[in-house]
Amino acid sequence: MLIAKRDYVASVRTKAFLVGLLVAPLLFGGSFLASVFVKGRPSEQARRVAVVDATGKFAAAVVDQIKQQSLRDGFDQHTGVRVMPPYEFEIVSPDASNPDAQRLALSNRVRDKELFGFLEIEATSVEWYSNGGGFGDVERWLARPVSDGLERVRLRELGVSGEQLNEALKPVPLESMNLVTRDPKTGLVVPARKRGMAENFAAPFILAFLFFMIVLSASAPMLTAVAEDKAQRVFEMLLASAGPFDLIGGKVLAAVGTALTSSIFYVIAAFALLQVLAIVGLAPVKVLPWFFLYLVAEVIILASLATALGAACSSTRDAENLKLITLLPLVIPLLVLTPVLQEPNGVFATAMSLFPLFTPLLMLVRQATPGGIPAWQPWVGLAGVVVATLVISWMASRIFRLAILFQGKTPNVAELVRWGVAG
Amino acid sequence: MAFHGASVEFDGVTKRFESVTAVDDLSLSIPEGSIYGFIGPNGSGKTTTMRLITGILLPDRGDVRVYGATSSSRQLGSIGYLPEERGIYKKMTVRALLRFHAELRGVRKAAAQADAWLEKLDLAKFGSSSIETLSKGMTQKVQFIAAAIGEPKLLILDEPFSGLDPVSSQAIRSAILELRGKGATIVLSTHDMGTAEQMCERILMMFRGKKVLDGTLMDIRDRYGNDTVRISAENAACLAGLPGVEQIRDLGQMQEIRMARDADPQALLRNVMTRTRVDSFSIARPSLEDIFIRIAGADSLVDRLEAQSA
Repeated sequence: MLIAKRDYVASVRTKAFLVGLLVAPLLFGGSFLASVFVKGRPSEQARRVAVVDATGKFAAAVVDQIKQQSLRDGFDQHTGVRVMPPYEFEIVSPDASNPDAQRLALSNRVRDKELFGFLEIEATSVEWYSNGGGFGDVERWLARPVSDGLERVRLRELGVSGEQLNEALKPVPLESMNLVTRDPKTGLVVPARKRGMAENFAAPFILAFLFFMIVLSASAPMLTAVAEDKAQRVFEMLLASAGPFDLIGGKVLAAVGTALTSSIFYVIAAFALLQVLAIVGLAPVKVLPWFFLYLVAEVIILASLATALGAACSSTRDAENLKLITLLPLVIPLLVLTPVLQEPNGVFATAMSLFPLFTPLLMLVRQATPGGIPAWQPWVGLAGVVVATLVISWMASRIFRLAILFQGKTPNVAELVRWGVAG
Repeated sequence: MAFHGASVEFDGVTKRFESVTAVDDLSLSIPEGSIYGFIGPNGSGKTTTMRLITGILLPDRGDVRVYGATSSSRQLGSIGYLPEERGIYKKMTVRALLRFHAELRGVRKAAAQADAWLEKLDLAKFGSSSIETLSKGMTQKVQFIAAAIGEPKLLILDEPFSGLDPVSSQAIRSAILELRGKGATIVLSTHDMGTAEQMCERILMMFRGKKVLDGTLMDIRDRYGNDTVRISAENAACLAGLPGVEQIRDLGQMQEIRMARDADPQALLRNVMTRTRVDSFSIARPSLEDIFIRIAGADSLVDRLEAQSA
């Protein structure tokens, strides 16, 4: 407990901890606001698109549909502020004799930024040529008006009038709803609420970010701190008064204390922010106990790993090289966060979140999604996490005991595993 | 487990590090309340033996008992340890560090004890200073206090005087003697044979992991007999090759001669007087340093004995 107290005080009293506590969310929030700001202020420059229509009958309708779509989507519905650049078009006659030369010439104009891209319309297909990049947002956006344009021409050829066409092809918005539930107190059916992007993605994402940030700040510095203490030969003197298990236990407990300190700060700050923004209803309150449970388990796992590996390092440079290994249980779940959130109850998301090293972060974000997950899964996940925590901290303490006085050379992975298993 | 007057007992203890045997079948008994000196060349196994006493290392074979308890049943906190490889938390203040070590050892009124020790070693005005701002000598004194605070029953000091100025050395020497006076057992490792001779009631010499000497200074000197003659002569060169002379060490103003077994110093004196004028002649017991060099020097006694037995 004394070692935990000393390490905890040493950790939270550093300027890095205090600065990190304030700067990390500012950076995150800043980058989020910056992306919103950039998205809300599109380039004023019009996107000039060339249309090469081999059929000679679709170009006008396609251009018309894109312009209409641009008018609908190009401005914020509430503020009227433009959120998408305007589109301009030039119809280019197809060069039937040498279509490749024409494509090359148009491609060069795209490269020279004269054109944003060009559409090539055939009887049964449409090709969009552009300089690429991004996530395919432009292609996804263009697909609908281009298809509408072609459908309108075809239907008109089949004798459907203009008014009938508008009626038939009128866009129908799709509302995303949560599931209907029954109130356990009143027994009445509670109508479903509309679900927005914020609920689908924002809450789980913010939760995942908070979790990542807190665990990272509590456990990542331990590897180099232990390696530094080892390099300065601090442990030998302590080992006469405290056993190696007391030492590693104290260090891990200090990391848990640090994580809980920053998490309480962030949770209070987040609730205050949601209150100010009057969206406190979006807070995933039900998963908060799980958040703390998983947080403690993840910090124990990562801090034990960091302490054991730090003790095995013969220099702080070695420790820097090993840092990524200890962070993999945090980094891999972050890398798969988007597919997991897109289908939180899919096989991939379920399997990944039941792998004990990934459970804390992935199960948590799945639990925070509006649809939720089957009730048994968090408990099974938690059981796996508890077992993993016990096994990893036990092995780490054995490695720590042997590695702490081992000077001169960093043991290899095989030696570490042997120490962890055989002691 | 009952214990009978020995604070530390080793019974056939061996400790290996891969292919290196650091401590080889070591048996010893350190009497309670004594100052017990560990001497031996670098790499002879002194530090490993000390780590075995503290329980930092466990023996591969044999038993280590401290106040009758094995490593697994030992109560932490009864041992104060100043390792040779010294390290302390440099960012802490002196007083906070000493309190931390005292509390780790379960000392009550840790703050008061820290202040008393700081006063005793003339560090009172540095109590609030960060360790990293102290000089090397002052840091060493703080480390000594960290090992000795709480007055542990057993205090293990690996080279406690190395790098200290004479005033600081004397302060620590007095503190050690005071602790011994209160009943503590002190295990002291040193390369300074003068310190070992002056302070230690018993001396253990290790060489290549084995015990080669263990006893009081008197016992050890007796064992090596009266085979040393110091002679100051006008023509020192004539001493070489005389019958009974096994080895000559030039001390500058005089020569130290190690006599061959059964050689008669009187016969040697008569022989020398026929060749040159003798200014002084004395028969002496070998110094601890001389014994050390005989055992561990280039012409190692151990090597010769091993060669003979082979």
